Amino acid sequence: MERLQSSVVRTPPNSTVVQRRSKSYRQSYRSCLGAPSRLGLTPGLTARRLNSSRRALKSHVITEKVNPEHLALLVKTEWRLSYVTPLHQFRHTQLKRYSRQLSAFIAAEKQQGVAMEVEGSQSGFRVSFSVVQGLAATDDDAETVLIQIYSTPVFARQDEPQKSVWSGWLTCINGNPEYLQSLPKGFTCLPLFGGSGAEVLTSLVKSWFQRTFDCCFGPLEINHTSLQWLAALWTNCHTESNLQHLKMIWTLPVVPPLQVTYTVNPQDAWELWMSVRKDRLERTEEEAEAGSIDIEEVVRFVQGLKSHFYRHFRLDLSAGNLNQVSTTLGSAKSSGKIKISNSRYMITTLTLLTECALLKMPI
Amino acid sequence: MDDSARRLLQRIMRRIPAQMLKPTLDKWGRLTAAQRQSMDFTESKWALTEKLLAICEENEMTVKHITELEMIHVIENPDHCMWYALQLMDPEEDVHSVELTQFKEQFKSHLRELIRHVSIKIKKHTDEAVWIRIAWGDSFSRPNHLKPTYVVHHLQTPYVFVTSLTSKLKPLLSQALVLSTRYQAIKDASLSGRKLTAIRDLLMRQYQQVFPTKYPSPLAENDQNASNILINKEQAELAASRHQKAREAFGDGMLPQLQSAVYKLETKFRDHTNKTMTEREEAFRCVVKFASTNLLESLRHCASSGIASTPGTSLLSSIPLKGRNYFVITDNSPGPSSQTRQPSN
Repeated sequence: MERLQSSVVRTPPNSTVVQRRSKSYRQSYRSCLGAPSRLGLTPGLTARRLNSSRRALKSHVITEKVNPEHLALLVKTEWRLSYVTPLHQFRHTQLKRYSRQLSAFIAAEKQQGVAMEVEGSQSGFRVSFSVVQGLAATDDDAETVLIQIYSTPVFARQDEPQKSVWSGWLTCINGNPEYLQSLPKGFTCLPLFGGSGAEVLTSLVKSWFQRTFDCCFGPLEINHTSLQWLAALWTNCHTESNLQHLKMIWTLPVVPPLQVTYTVNPQDAWELWMSVRKDRLERTEEEAEAGSIDIEEVVRFVQGLKSHFYRHFRLDLSAGNLNQVSTTLGSAKSSGKIKISNSRYMITTLTLLTECALLKMPI
Repeated sequence: MDDSARRLLQRIMRRIPAQMLKPTLDKWGRLTAAQRQSMDFTESKWALTEKLLAICEENEMTVKHITELEMIHVIENPDHCMWYALQLMDPEEDVHSVELTQFKEQFKSHLRELIRHVSIKIKKHTDEAVWIRIAWGDSFSRPNHLKPTYVVHHLQTPYVFVTSLTSKLKPLLSQALVLSTRYQAIKDASLSGRKLTAIRDLLMRQYQQVFPTKYPSPLAENDQNASNILINKEQAELAASRHQKAREAFGDGMLPQLQSAVYKLETKFRDHTNKTMTEREEAFRCVVKFASTNLLESLRHCASSGIASTPGTSLLSSIPLKGRNYFVITDNSPGPSSQTRQPSN
């Protein structure tokens, strides 16, 4: 019997093995989340689409597990994020071949006349694919792939170090295991893509991936719920790593647009956060809950900050858009840019972003 | 013409936009008719600069003449530097008798007493403002014309506006100003911005203010776009009253173009839903910065659209009311307390 593709109507129960006869073989990610979709509509409330509760930001010392050069690159660069649908026939063993193919592709596009803003029209490009070992958190996660593009000027000397003009990575950290296991064979899921460098190179890399692995890229914005999560998770770390400040930038929709930068002293922000947690911990008796943070706490924390603001200025920040959250641990912008400045929290931040990417992916 | 004069001229030429070159040079009036004819204003700026350098050599101009040109340009375009407002305090009895020549003489002599090598140029602009250009030197070196300070003072008002001034030189300038204007002290007005006209208008309240009246004139004519008659009827009164309050708080018509305002909050956290924080003794420290291409316009729109409620009681209305854009708010003083100022950008 042919099963219909429509992800919104059919919800295979989690435990059964799904039998695929038709071409439409992928289980919808949203259907993995559970029962409510039987009603036919994807869950409407943003707060329920992301995990409503998650483990507190644990600092993972990953400096031993991950190549320090790779880490140095990942930290302190601002990445533009996209989501990627699963890649077909991607092999971690074929990286050298992919490097050559991508180099050739870029050279061919350049010959066709695609304008390259990169300096030195005479220079060629050398591409290098590598695996960043040690980031994958679970067995289901595929290993992170790092791509770097170097410019090779025509008249370079032998010992001149090659300049990296573009870098990017594909990753999956703590991806939803049900979804990952439900993917048919031959598909690798690396849903989160980050790129930094010339825009033209980013689009070339993406179109090569789309051609070679039959996947789809799309922009990943960080919505205000995720930004609030990051604000709370980062504030939670203040005792371990000094935040120096918690800065949030809102834009109010007036003419001309008004930008509000609200910078809070980290100690005071942390005390506010702890007071919100204490209230909640007093109410629940379960020990197991202590390690995890609920969305309600996050919302109450940000609401506290907003109401302090309202008391002075009589302006309700909810009328505007939260555009950016930043601390010394990193900064996140709603346009989809992220910078993780401290490698200790990379895993947990990437977990949150992987979740966003998986949710934003179309079926 | 010495080297510093050449460098100064080159720098000025870089700053003046191409279309303003001819009128500025004409105003300067130091070129003969023949020389003016020989300047072809369709050439590139680099070529014109070389031409002008040659002409100035011919006329044997010195740095003094070149600084005149700079001053003319800055007076026409004051909006390219950051201006800081100062306010003179405690006037003496004869403050009203200070007039231009007296002020000029006194200021020059006082400043020269305080610092030996200094170059001062004073010019009265058409709108009652006195412009002063100061190039600072010290006991060993000649005045540095590449980093001048500009001062604007409106006689008969206690306001002075200054551009770039290091903290070392500020007391010297303050002293000279205080003595020559017959006041006793000078303080920071906590107001800064790029547009001189904007901060001047704000401080001296030269914009259309609206005073609270019991029976405001009907605002129904202001409301265009009557899309739905029923909604309009419901909302008209509310909208009109919001508009009125917004105009009372911020003013009517064109508002001075301020770019930013900074509030440093050191008040206690008070929220009835959060007992722990409310009981806390220490202040909740945060800094809020508002930025926009026209800040007062944005705030007025916030008030009239309802995003800001009761604009009259909020701290935002202090900006036009007190003519400041830097505030430190503590629990003891509900209004802003005087503190050392941080430059706001």
